[in-house]
Amino acid sequence: MRVGKINRVKRQLLREAVADNLDTIRGLPPRNIRPAHRISRIWFRRASLAVVPLLVAGSTYLTINGAPPSPPRMAAPKPYVITARAVPLPATTAVPESFERVSASAFPLSVHRIVIDAGHGGNDPGASAASHLSEKEITLDIAQRLRTVLQQNGFDVVVTRGDDRLIPLRERARMANSSDGDIFVSIHVNSVANHNSHGIETYYLGPTNDPTLTRLAADENRTSGYSLADLHKLLDGIYADVRRDESHRLASVIQSQLFDGLRTVDPRLQNWGVKRAPFIVLVATEMPAILAEVGCLSNDRDAEMLRHPEYRERIAEALSQGIKSYAIQR
Amino acid sequence: MAADTEILHVGIDLGTSRSAISASNGERFVVDSFVGWPADMVARKVLKRDVLIGHEAVANRTMLDLHRPLERGLLKEGSDKDVEAVRELLRHLLRLVGVTGNGHVATENVRAVVGVPAAALRTNKQYLRNSMKGIVDSLMIVSEPFAVAYGLNALLHTMIIDIGAGTTDFCVMKGRYPTEEDQRTLTIAGDSVDQQLLKLIQERYPQANVTIFMVREWKEKQSFVGSSKAKCVVTAPVKGVPTDLDITEEIKTACETLLAPAIETMLDLLSRVEPEFQEKVRNNIILSGGGGLIKGLPQALEEALKQVGGGKVTYMKDPVFVGSDGGLALALDAPEGDWEKLSG
Repeated sequence: MRVGKINRVKRQLLREAVADNLDTIRGLPPRNIRPAHRISRIWFRRASLAVVPLLVAGSTYLTINGAPPSPPRMAAPKPYVITARAVPLPATTAVPESFERVSASAFPLSVHRIVIDAGHGGNDPGASAASHLSEKEITLDIAQRLRTVLQQNGFDVVVTRGDDRLIPLRERARMANSSDGDIFVSIHVNSVANHNSHGIETYYLGPTNDPTLTRLAADENRTSGYSLADLHKLLDGIYADVRRDESHRLASVIQSQLFDGLRTVDPRLQNWGVKRAPFIVLVATEMPAILAEVGCLSNDRDAEMLRHPEYRERIAEALSQGIKSYAIQR
Repeated sequence: MAADTEILHVGIDLGTSRSAISASNGERFVVDSFVGWPADMVARKVLKRDVLIGHEAVANRTMLDLHRPLERGLLKEGSDKDVEAVRELLRHLLRLVGVTGNGHVATENVRAVVGVPAAALRTNKQYLRNSMKGIVDSLMIVSEPFAVAYGLNALLHTMIIDIGAGTTDFCVMKGRYPTEEDQRTLTIAGDSVDQQLLKLIQERYPQANVTIFMVREWKEKQSFVGSSKAKCVVTAPVKGVPTDLDITEEIKTACETLLAPAIETMLDLLSRVEPEFQEKVRNNIILSGGGGLIKGLPQALEEALKQVGGGKVTYMKDPVFVGSDGGLALALDAPEGDWEKLSG
């Protein structure tokens, strides 16, 4: 590079370095991940208004093409925020084999309100490490960090647990549904039999034949507050709806961002992928929902990493990045 | 000596293992990033000092409450003692270049640029900034590899690999201020090599009495990857008797733990560079930091580059000050108007 060009580039770099420092002083997030809040949010809200007629037209189209008419909604309908649960299946109706899957992409959706669920709490510590570090304290800390990051990025955030107390899974789902959340993100930390390996995985709702996953779901569902009959009723109506597709998409982007974001600081981290399992919080929530296992307390190295605030912040950033990617794609 | 009103620009590489400072008055110093306070009244009486820093602290560690305040290149959060330690370390570095009291440069006339790991988060930087209040008020915090690149004028189509004690930082310079996607930080670095080496030596010579401080010193003198003609022989007490130990294989194995993650990260970052510029970046890879002195490392990285078309890796012969010199260059280039915005 010629001297003149070097000096030009240096001046530009200096300006950007100073701007980055000023943002730090003001407590703003990095520029490359900061959405153009105001304009895009206003645009989104107006777009939501504009798609009401489209929704009506879409529903008509589905009716003509043999799809079942929309049943009465379980929750009171929101006036303008249209979510994938606009066309749920009746909870007690079996899904016909010939059911034509409704593509959620038919409806331009917006994501404003995120429900964050910190796994376990109170006298349910969840998994724990040899060093007595417990899942409940890690999930709460990451959830609080994630809330801050998301709020800085203009999202509304609802948390199901803000302190160290046991909240039944049923109550968590009720809180998520009554708060009109657009997506539900449950944060957990894994513990696996093989103490030498550690990885991350993200779940969305679906049946599984894997006995390990069944056991994991049974463990996580212990404090659900649902009877077996309730559970069957819920499961019957859910496995084939639009929400599952959306949950799958949400799980995929979150898993991808988590792995990309954490592998940079932990090259030995394994990608255990996106999986299906019948976790209660995923069954009973009415919005696209995922459960992220963001680490492995059974692995000493991972447990040590999870002890550090910087690493937890990194996890929160990665989760936030996944949520933002999902929201932008919508 | 600088007058009271004179502005002093400094670049500081606040490292996990060593911290370096370069000042606009031509002074340059490096100290071990250790701070220790006498453990009790007896120690205070013997040492005749309230606080010891750097090599002195390490040498007298048995009498001290010893702190290494930085972990993975970042200030440890939640520990008041570590915050105080980093403040003492900074005061010491600034005193060395002539800052504070006694007719020297006044604190408010210092303009400092401090390098931190590439992956440092906003919260980490904010925490560091708050911890430095009252010591350095006009402060710019930048990623360490960026400071290195700036100091070397390696601003375009270059990759910096900065191997420190706490972190290994990667940064691709694209003629713009590096974003998250241009940078990576690995925690596999000098410290993890030390730990590995200590473990291997203890496995081979279970009777030998070896500390992490001894291991660090041996590694810094004899580190290598690949093949070496010379044997690495060190002396350590075995059952109290000084004994020569051959640790050639152990040093090689420990140092080579850096290779796989470094190569993977280097190739991954390269693959994200626009295709038309990849060759230029491959031929402009710069190794800095203490890890850059590992013999055979540039060659090993070049060997790995062959699978993507080949490339060239150069290393800094004076890696200790390359980060602080880069910080100083940034400090000198920043206009006074910008420093006013960055103060307080």
